[in-house]
Amino acid sequence: MKTKYKLVMKVPKPPKSAYDHGRFISQLIENQIKHFHEVEKSLLKPGQKLTHVSKIKTELEASKYLKKMTALLHPHGAEKPQKAAKRRTIKKNVKARKAKSRKKPKPSKRRRK
Amino acid sequence: MPAGLDNLKHIVVLMMENRSFDHMLGGLMKTYPKINGLTGNESNPDMNGTMVAVQPNAKFQGQLDHDPDHHFPGVDLQIFGGTPPGAGRVPNMQGFIKSYASQGTGINASHAIMSYFPPKNLPVLTKLATEYAVFNGWFSSIPGPTICNRAFAHYGTSFGNVDMNLFYIQDSILSIYERMVKAGHTAKIYYYDQQSSTMEIVNLLKNQPQIFGSYSQFIADCNGNTLPEYSFIEPCYNDHPGPGGGEVLASDQHPDHNVQEGERFIANTYNAIRTKQELWETTALLVVYDEHGGIYDHVVPPPCQSDGYSAPAAKTGTGSAFNFDRLGIRVPAILVSPYVPRGTVVPGTEDPNGVIFEHACIPGTVTSFFLKNYDQRTVREKNSRNFLTPLTDTLRPDDDCWVFDV
Repeated sequence: MKTKYKLVMKVPKPPKSAYDHGRFISQLIENQIKHFHEVEKSLLKPGQKLTHVSKIKTELEASKYLKKMTALLHPHGAEKPQKAAKRRTIKKNVKARKAKSRKKPKPSKRRRK
Repeated sequence: MPAGLDNLKHIVVLMMENRSFDHMLGGLMKTYPKINGLTGNESNPDMNGTMVAVQPNAKFQGQLDHDPDHHFPGVDLQIFGGTPPGAGRVPNMQGFIKSYASQGTGINASHAIMSYFPPKNLPVLTKLATEYAVFNGWFSSIPGPTICNRAFAHYGTSFGNVDMNLFYIQDSILSIYERMVKAGHTAKIYYYDQQSSTMEIVNLLKNQPQIFGSYSQFIADCNGNTLPEYSFIEPCYNDHPGPGGGEVLASDQHPDHNVQEGERFIANTYNAIRTKQELWETTALLVVYDEHGGIYDHVVPPPCQSDGYSAPAAKTGTGSAFNFDRLGIRVPAILVSPYVPRGTVVPGTEDPNGVIFEHACIPGTVTSFFLKNYDQRTVREKNSRNFLTPLTDTLRPDDDCWVFDV
């Protein structure tokens, strides 16, 4: 970045301790959940149970509920799980390496011949 | 029309959470006297009657862990210092400490509501404010909380609401996104991710899912040159595990979320536009806060054109009805574009020729720019000022504009 642009400013990172998904939810998030709960009620089909949103106390619990509801209303917003993608790449690499190693002995056999 | 407007193809609005102008930018006045910030002598009485001055000791986190009151009655106390509604009362901005102390914070902790950030502690916001255009007179639309204020940014009205309740649109007023799409234009609300989701009218998400996208989609749209004509970006509203097992921090700057993470989010959004030359030259980015979050600002919110609605006394909680004829407390607002001259300050109430902005200016400006004559704008929109006026004829050279290393 420094080589491409003349004016570059470094932005400090917050400390690791800034993260706390056990933090109690603010009134803002509490209301966000209430709004989604209203939608959940309107979408409820016979036999389905409503989420007990009054049990949601922390940001982690809130994020799980919001993910569930958002996935329902807007499935296009789903993130691709990075770890799973990496694993797939690793597996492919392992397969490729195995294939390569299988191919390698052939020339050596030829040489022996 | 200036070249900056002639070449404009995209308007991007990033709306952050709950910080007042003085809290974030007030410290800039010492170096930039045109910015209507703090002299250092502004004060409020505490519960003992002791006058407490503003202090440059705002912390990134842990100082306002008791979320300061910003509901309608609380803001009324902050603006009017505790004088009950009635004829002749004068707004004096003297009730901020009283309001915070009434939440049971204790005398000493209640003084934190007067804190502000030294500019060096907010390098991103400071850089954008001083390199591009800062608005001295951008106010939240209602002296109240998030949802009704954000509604003004989407609809140009809150349909008579002054609280956090979910409201159902009963009038013929369309959101700015629906107006754009209906007229063959493109518009999107980008929420951060599914775990954070949207604060923007769940009804829209339910009925109009095509106008939503995630923040990663915003980045992809910037990179792929597929950004809509109008974009509204939401920060992350909660801490949660990331998709790869990492940690995603809230970036909304709502107390008590980390302010530095919000700085990084603003920087990332700016960079996404800034580092694509064609996009940079054709985009205007507005960084604005939804409301002040109960934190001190010294400027009295001005009266405004009523939007035709009235909130009854039972809803306001002050014992008096509200006719939407006064704006909320001032918030930071910065317009970024290479067509904005360095150090532009748009004067506000401190200047007889100053201009007042509020969130209805967002759909008002976007509608005027892209849809021209659209009759069904709200009263507030019709009376709103265009926030693109700082764009000029002159394109700043590329090596004159900063990039952030995030």
